[in-house]
Amino acid sequence: MAITVKKVDRNVTMTLWERSYIPEMTRGMIITMKHFVVNLAGLALEVVGGKRHRKIMTIYYPEENPVIPPAYRGRPALVRAENGQEKCVACGLCEVACPPRCISIVGGERENGERYPVSYTLDGSRCIFCGLCEEACPKEAIVMSHDWKNLCEHDRSKMIYDKETLLYPERNLKKRLNVIREKYFNAKLYHKPSEKD
Amino acid sequence: MGIAEMIETIVKIGFIIGLTIGFFAPMLAWVERKQSAVMQDRIGANRADFFGFTVIGLLHSLADAIKLIFKEDFIPRGAERALHTLAPVIAVIPSLIAFAVIPFGGKYTLWGHEVNLVIADLDVGVLYVFAISSLATYGVVIAGWASNNNWSLLGGLRASAQMFSYEVAMGLTVIGLIMFYQSLSMVDIVAKQDNFFHWGIIWHWPAFVLFLACAVAENKRVPFDAPEAEAELVAGYFTEYSGMKFVMFWTAEFIEMVTIAGLCVALFFGGHHVPFITDAELAGGFSFLGPNVSNLVAMLIGVGVFIFKLVALLILQMTIRWTMPRFRYDQIMKLGWKMILPLSLTWIFIVGVGILTGVMPSP
Repeated sequence: MAITVKKVDRNVTMTLWERSYIPEMTRGMIITMKHFVVNLAGLALEVVGGKRHRKIMTIYYPEENPVIPPAYRGRPALVRAENGQEKCVACGLCEVACPPRCISIVGGERENGERYPVSYTLDGSRCIFCGLCEEACPKEAIVMSHDWKNLCEHDRSKMIYDKETLLYPERNLKKRLNVIREKYFNAKLYHKPSEKD
Repeated sequence: MGIAEMIETIVKIGFIIGLTIGFFAPMLAWVERKQSAVMQDRIGANRADFFGFTVIGLLHSLADAIKLIFKEDFIPRGAERALHTLAPVIAVIPSLIAFAVIPFGGKYTLWGHEVNLVIADLDVGVLYVFAISSLATYGVVIAGWASNNNWSLLGGLRASAQMFSYEVAMGLTVIGLIMFYQSLSMVDIVAKQDNFFHWGIIWHWPAFVLFLACAVAENKRVPFDAPEAEAELVAGYFTEYSGMKFVMFWTAEFIEMVTIAGLCVALFFGGHHVPFITDAELAGGFSFLGPNVSNLVAMLIGVGVFIFKLVALLILQMTIRWTMPRFRYDQIMKLGWKMILPLSLTWIFIVGVGILTGVMPSP
């Protein structure tokens, strides 16, 4: 894709009106004052009416939470199917795809011959939230959840997540699952290598 | 001096100190944070709380004060100890005592005692202000020199050159006004602005623009803050100051803002006068309360109007501070000597011609 470059003329010759400074300064002050008055009125309305009417985008974090878009990549999560078992078949593709190699799987077999991960360890201190594990997974068994809070610890050993921590019921991950279905299985959105590339 | 006058003066001094150090200095610290934030589509400091009450960030000034009182008072090695300690005091005092000649009300007769709402009714009030404001340079220069720090020294040098240049221009911008009102006394100048059409801003608005520019430059605030330019000189002349000494420099700056606003109100915006209402009419409007109480009410209204105008000018200064980018150092000097000085001289000439030809009727 061609990068569009906006050319800035650095040899601007200012008119006498502009060089006299005061009118342009006044204009600048009117702009800042407009922002001030609009925002102040919005803040006052918020105190009175409770609804947000202002341009200020700041979120009062611990009291308020940001709206997480569906395509957000939070902490990876293992999908627990309706029958209560994990969807993962311990094929090891995510392990291979993972760039920082934070996933380690020990596979096993159930009595009925299905493969399952005996242990699935994800090192949260190494994970880079790239989403390649999710892309590699053939079973939709690992997806990036919308879990973003309290992921930090003072101790790295506390950030190594085991299988039970990672398992989320499927209904909690519906949004992200829809996104990855759109992204990876919808032919329209699928990235087709063109001649340009 | 009688006992009554002594008490009156002490009350007035207490009022001014309470107004500047007690009210405006912490409030301006809050306004500086909040106004800039709201102006830039942010919220600003609002987390300091007292049992869960944040009071829209007002407690940050208090928290800052408590923090800074308990901070280490650091004097760098090789610094001139005595001067390093003295400099903030020298910086703070002139900005405070300049307020002595600014009238914050008129003359009122209360229960047979004449009250003149100015601490010192000097005949040379305007000259006094300029004399005192030039003293403020010493605090800055001494702070810059005594810190034994290159940034501080550069800041002090810049400050001395800048404040010296702008003092010349600032003095000249007011000459036209003095010619117009034919008085050097602040009380006289304010008294002559009783009629709205004799306000300084009506006849002398170019002088007001020049005066405000010079005054902001004297105060070393953005866009004239080259002496403390945090991007170039760390913090300029007060790089090596911490704790309450640092606060004193900031207090000096804020009080100077109030003084500038007070000067502008007294010289250009009619002091305590309400537009279109003379003092006599104002007191007459409350004559049903008896002569003394009506005078008292008129006095309170006058002081209220003065403070209202003061706040408006402070907001204007804050807006300038948070809108303008900093001038380069050579631009500051060029603006001072090549623009404002000739312009103010031209303005003196215009006012002279106006008064001689009768276009500008002197009150």
